[in-house]
Amino acid sequence: MIQLTHVSKIYPSQITALSDVTLEISAGEFAFLTGPSGSGKTTLLRLLYCAERPTSGEVIVNGIHVTKKGFRMVYQLRRTMGIVFQDFKLLQDRTVGQNIAFALEVTGHAPKEIKKKVSEILNRVGLQAREEDSVLFLSAGEQQRVAIARALVNDPPLLLADEPTGNLDDTMTAEVMQILTDLHHRGTTIVFATHDTDLILRYPYRVIHLRRGRRVESSA
Amino acid sequence: MFFFLRYVMRRAFQNMKGNLLPNLTTIAIIGISMLIFSSFSLIAFNLTSFLKAWEEKIEVMAYLKKGVVLSDVEGLRRKIRQFEGVEAVKYVSSDDAMDFMERKLGRQKNLLEGIPPGILPSSFEIRLKKDFRNTNSLKRIVTQLNQFPQIEEIQYGQEWVETFLTLTHLFRISQWVLGGLLLMGIIFITFNTLQLTISSRKEEIEIMQILGASPSVIQVPFYIEGLIQGLVGTSLAILCLFYLHYEVLLYKVFFLYITPSIKDWASGIPILFLPPDKITLIILGGMVLGFFGSFAASMRFLKYRV
Repeated sequence: MIQLTHVSKIYPSQITALSDVTLEISAGEFAFLTGPSGSGKTTLLRLLYCAERPTSGEVIVNGIHVTKKGFRMVYQLRRTMGIVFQDFKLLQDRTVGQNIAFALEVTGHAPKEIKKKVSEILNRVGLQAREEDSVLFLSAGEQQRVAIARALVNDPPLLLADEPTGNLDDTMTAEVMQILTDLHHRGTTIVFATHDTDLILRYPYRVIHLRRGRRVESSA
Repeated sequence: MFFFLRYVMRRAFQNMKGNLLPNLTTIAIIGISMLIFSSFSLIAFNLTSFLKAWEEKIEVMAYLKKGVVLSDVEGLRRKIRQFEGVEAVKYVSSDDAMDFMERKLGRQKNLLEGIPPGILPSSFEIRLKKDFRNTNSLKRIVTQLNQFPQIEEIQYGQEWVETFLTLTHLFRISQWVLGGLLLMGIIFITFNTLQLTISSRKEEIEIMQILGASPSVIQVPFYIEGLIQGLVGTSLAILCLFYLHYEVLLYKVFFLYITPSIKDWASGIPILFLPPDKITLIILGGMVLGFFGSFAASMRFLKYRV
């Protein structure tokens, strides 16, 4: 599913975000990506969804060589993955339903299909009663659930989550993790970046450690 | 395809509604620029019409030298009638010319008292065939007439022709020089407005890119916005020009400020508005310029940055 081979990322300011990282994540796997702030977690995720290009090395996602010369179909790659952020990245002037529907509108789905899928995904994340509410009236945990719902509404095989529980308390974190665990059981590959070691210890998933841009060790 | 078109149209109108003031400003500036450009087009168009209408009324007056005998006149008339493009040749004797002057002067014909008869030269009024009523044929016939030694002077309103041609030519050059500057201005203003729109929707665009929206889903609404700005602005310009043309020019300027003699002469020549094909071209031109501005802005600010 994901292959990084000797990947380095050096920014124009000469800051080395990643240095010679090699790793592989299989389809259906749940992997925590951990390390202190500035260790390269976000950079690694950004390479996976092509918000950055590596300075050197090879990145393959869902069988697509994203580092190959001439690769321009970034948008097609992103349709095979859902992405969740710490700051949710929801449209504040829209309702819960409209935020989720947005993901289907921009990818060319018909209105009937959109209505059906939005309803289904809201049921899965337990927000069916909040469909018509503005996202401004939701708690942080609920907003993150909306973001997850939006990321999953297109049934992607891969979910990338960059500190999704960073702004949540323990209860909300548990709610979000429950959703992700269910997702993982359905076969979705999940890469979860976090610096919360307590969270990692609570779950029996693989952990990939980064420190100062280098892979340190991993454990299953 | 249908859903795509519906979506991008809806997004375009949402974008415009969300940035109403900058869009209205852009439309107003496009409107003013196209009004100036269209005004030049209208003037050039009417000057060309004047010229064509004048050409329809073209007659060549060939004045004969004093002392040309009547027997020579008929021979000369027949020769001129043989020229290619000549429809009819009428001999106007000195007396006929005097009678014409008296009729023209009307109540003021007593001004001619004391003027000896025969002072006015006799002449040939040469009427041309329809297809030969143009400047080039005129010049050719005049060259042929100049070869006759009996002919003193030839008049066909050549000063008018030259002046009109020069004026028309000048207007056309000015139209395109000034128009070129205005049109560049339109592209620039559309570019800037789109830049503002894109900036105000930066977050939404970022989310669209994250969700896997294709470049066309992101960019096409902005192209449509540019097209709409060009269409509305140029259409308003044409409407404004129409109003100015009919309400102001014809009824106020024309009837109040033109001297009676010129009014008489010009009354047979219609002052036309732009024909439908020119209007369509101008509107399409405005839309294309609006599109270029938005295209340039979206190429600059909407790429998937990797």
